[in-house]
Amino acid sequence: MATKPGKQARETKKTPIKIKINGQWHEFEPGRDIVPEMTLSYLLREKLGFTGLKVACDEGACGACTVLMDGKAVLSCMKLAAEAHGHEILTIEGLPEDDPVIRAFVAQCEPGYGTALQCGFCTPGFVMAAKGLLNENPKPTTGEIKEGLSGNICRCGCYSGIARAVLHACEENKGGKPRSFGSMHLPIGPSVRLPASTSRPKGRGKP
Amino acid sequence: MTPPRPYTPRVARKFIGAYRPRIDALEKASGKVQFVDDITLKSRFPGMLYAKVMRSPYAHARIKSIDASLAEQLPGVKAVLTCKDPEVSSLKPTSAGWTDGVDTVSYERMMWRHFRDRRVLGDRACWATDEVGAVVAAESEQIAEEALRLIKVEWEVLPFVLDPMEAMKPGAPVIHPEIAPRNILPKDAVGGSDVFVDKGDVDKGFARAEVVIEAVSVHHNATQASLDNWCCLVDWKSDKLTVMSNSYEADQTRMHISQMLGLPINKVRVISSYVGGQFGRGDTGDQPFFLFTALLSKKTGRPVKFRHSRRESFHDSRQPAIYTGKAGAKKDGTITSMYFKSIGNSGAYADHTMFALKFAPTEITEVALAHIPNVRMESYGVYTNKLPACMMRGVGNSQFNLIFGHVVDMLAEKLGMDPIDLALKNFGHEWGGLPDKSLKAVLGEGARRIGWRAKRHKPGAGPVYDRVKKRGVGFSFHPAWHAEWQEARRGEIRVRITVNPDCSVVLDAPTVETGTGSNTCNVLGCAEALGFLGIGPGDIVWPHTVDTETSLKDCVQTDSAVSYLQSEVVAHAAREVKRRLLEKAAALIKAKPEDLDIAGGRVYRKAAPAKGMTVRDIFRKGDMLPVVVEMGRPPNAEKTGVPYIANFAEVEVDTSTGRTQVLKLVVLNDCGTVMYASGAEAQQIGGQVMGLGEALTEEIIYDEATGVPLNFNWIDYKIATMADMPDIDPALLEVWRGAGEYGACGIGEGTLTCTPRAVLNAVYNAIGVRIDDIPVKPEKVLKALGKA
Ligand code: FES
Ligand code: FES
Repeated sequence: MATKPGKQARETKKTPIKIKINGQWHEFEPGRDIVPEMTLSYLLREKLGFTGLKVACDEGACGACTVLMDGKAVLSCMKLAAEAHGHEILTIEGLPEDDPVIRAFVAQCEPGYGTALQCGFCTPGFVMAAKGLLNENPKPTTGEIKEGLSGNICRCGCYSGIARAVLHACEENKGGKPRSFGSMHLPIGPSVRLPASTSRPKGRGKP
Repeated sequence: MTPPRPYTPRVARKFIGAYRPRIDALEKASGKVQFVDDITLKSRFPGMLYAKVMRSPYAHARIKSIDASLAEQLPGVKAVLTCKDPEVSSLKPTSAGWTDGVDTVSYERMMWRHFRDRRVLGDRACWATDEVGAVVAAESEQIAEEALRLIKVEWEVLPFVLDPMEAMKPGAPVIHPEIAPRNILPKDAVGGSDVFVDKGDVDKGFARAEVVIEAVSVHHNATQASLDNWCCLVDWKSDKLTVMSNSYEADQTRMHISQMLGLPINKVRVISSYVGGQFGRGDTGDQPFFLFTALLSKKTGRPVKFRHSRRESFHDSRQPAIYTGKAGAKKDGTITSMYFKSIGNSGAYADHTMFALKFAPTEITEVALAHIPNVRMESYGVYTNKLPACMMRGVGNSQFNLIFGHVVDMLAEKLGMDPIDLALKNFGHEWGGLPDKSLKAVLGEGARRIGWRAKRHKPGAGPVYDRVKKRGVGFSFHPAWHAEWQEARRGEIRVRITVNPDCSVVLDAPTVETGTGSNTCNVLGCAEALGFLGIGPGDIVWPHTVDTETSLKDCVQTDSAVSYLQSEVVAHAAREVKRRLLEKAAALIKAKPEDLDIAGGRVYRKAAPAKGMTVRDIFRKGDMLPVVVEMGRPPNAEKTGVPYIANFAEVEVDTSTGRTQVLKLVVLNDCGTVMYASGAEAQQIGGQVMGLGEALTEEIIYDEATGVPLNFNWIDYKIATMADMPDIDPALLEVWRGAGEYGACGIGEGTLTCTPRAVLNAVYNAIGVRIDDIPVKPEKVLKALGKA
């Protein structure tokens, strides 16, 4: 997908669709790389391998596919890929692992609120929705968090833990002491074992 | 908000019972976890095709003829299979209820072998959306969908029935005539006869009673709604079939495919990675779509992916049940007789209907109702043309609790007693006296936390807020099932501990990770049990992929039981690790193993504890071979009584609009031993999303004129979001003690079992009129108040 502009120009007269994804500009040929009805979630997941975002409903009802567009949370299943032309998209893969929101989701175990995630399927969507919320409102109250994240569904029901994590993440934003993982931090497990015949995803957006 | 009250462990332990993050928290929060839909991208399987199955537009219909020739010609279509093709039509009839998930069984021994009512891609549609007729494999999902539209079907549309009461009447449309000529599921070997509990003399018991009440409760069609839509990829190359799926039962999936397609077990490989929630969805690994996807792969020689859309993911549900209950008591509150009858709406296929209607209530009779001298239970599972019902979080117990808590509340009112006192006077378990310690603890703690004494008032007679709003409190309780002895039917649980020369550990405790937190329980349990190595949870790797070719048999994520079942075996395996290490050390330092001990990662002579050698040195100076212990143990069948669970609710009902708002929920679980506090609380809190949904908003709505379900989406099927949630106060208790090392029990399902009834009782307390069926929608409240 990340084709060189010169080569592409020779092949077609169409203006390429340019999208900045996780800090890297990508060019796509309309009609070939991006067809008019292609959603942004499809482009990001199926074509570019950004599988952090999930498509659980594909109709704007659950928030699992949330990404940031120019810093605002958007449902990528409800955006056409072509609409992202000229815009900056941030997926969860574009966040550093020590992002305060990610850290706060990981660390949440304050008694009375449970964890901020269980199966983890809704989590990237919640993390990105929380990023978008904090961009707009760096110090939300619990009520504002509830309101701001009410477009996302967590069927495991980790809402209390999530709200708590977002509150803690903005404590960090405010320059408070970052919550250390300390002994609570456990190493992540091995990555998925694939059958030998499979190859790694291509077009990861690297230059 | 209530200030949180962390629980105090009965026995202080180093790792078990901790408030701490999940072991997979970072991997999940950073979006790195790969679910099956993520793993099966076309970029990873370049030859991959996409399958789409035809779905019936009619609630009840037969395919008279089918012509797929146009579809076959569509560019991009690689294979079409129809119900007329011999490789499809020759498949045995099956059931998606082979097992109750706890163990793998063969086709012959499947749990509901009397109800083999499913054809794989048959020509009979039994509900609108049924997978019938034809399936297509194409280069893209869009092409596959387009191809389905090109298939010409001549339907014979049959009369349908949605209501089980109507379905039982003579002359009603018959859905599976060969199995149930009157739509009533025949008596079965597992659940017993229609009257499946008949203890004492119920009629005499009622005659002796001074107060008798009768109640009705109607539980509706709710669905699991896991975010992770059913998805599988099947690659059938020459004689070997590989499946990647989000089934939560790898071993049973393999058995299902092997037996249905006639492949040796070792030629079927099932790989399950992370799963985005299951909540009992689809029972087990025996969904027919594995089979037609496999046949498409065989036909094309290419990997084929099949994924449900959100609409198609409304595929299973909780059994709706109409329960009637009757109870009689002496004036002092001693219950003399109880009778329960249920009519369950099985939907289009039987699956686990009778498990919910008979199996679960039978267990309750043995425990909670053990001190009631006369009990009768009677149950009928009825086929209709609705969404099939299977297991859903707390199978059967949610439905039963709705009537049980109703009867208790009504009887107490008529006796002029506090329902807490009535409960303590009558309910306990088979192996103990009354009052039951566990029940007393959960009800006492719940009453304190909700402010029972101050807030409970005569029905409808509390203070009025904002001129139209009325508040009330209510509760419901239930015995927690899935103590270890109840898992006896599960068979052996196997784990493997590998201690490497540097004392790092790999814990193979295979189970499909669906979010329950059992993985963290296992790692904490393993760190606890291997405490003598001086290691912590961070030194243990828990491989999360279950692969039937390389893993031990997976312990299935049902019954909320995996966390303690595996941890118990881990504790035993850890003892064996120690024994082997002592042998290793004894050989090296020329001592008798029995004269040595290990603590804090050091081996020492018991006679001279100050001197010693590190375990790492034992490895380094010895053979450098890891210590590998594989162990299997059946669940401990010792009868230890039953722990209790309860929910208390405070609601506010707007009598002008009929809207019910839940202000607060207290969730109480007697856990025996809390294995992982943050995970347990997450289950308690999380269960309320489902419990509250069932109580207030979640319901599948059908067009009565066509039988077509209308709200197979998350806009109209309303799941609570963060903004809808009340204050939730989770309370973990350790009162009962189960068998084995930890004496824990499962809690995940039991967190929501009592929620709908607690809410309904609170609504009654608020407005003074009863609503018998859930969800409690505003129109029902207004109707009950005589306003609509
Ligand atoms: S997948 Fe986009 S909102 Fe649900
Ligand atoms: S963690 Fe499972 S859906 Fe949110």
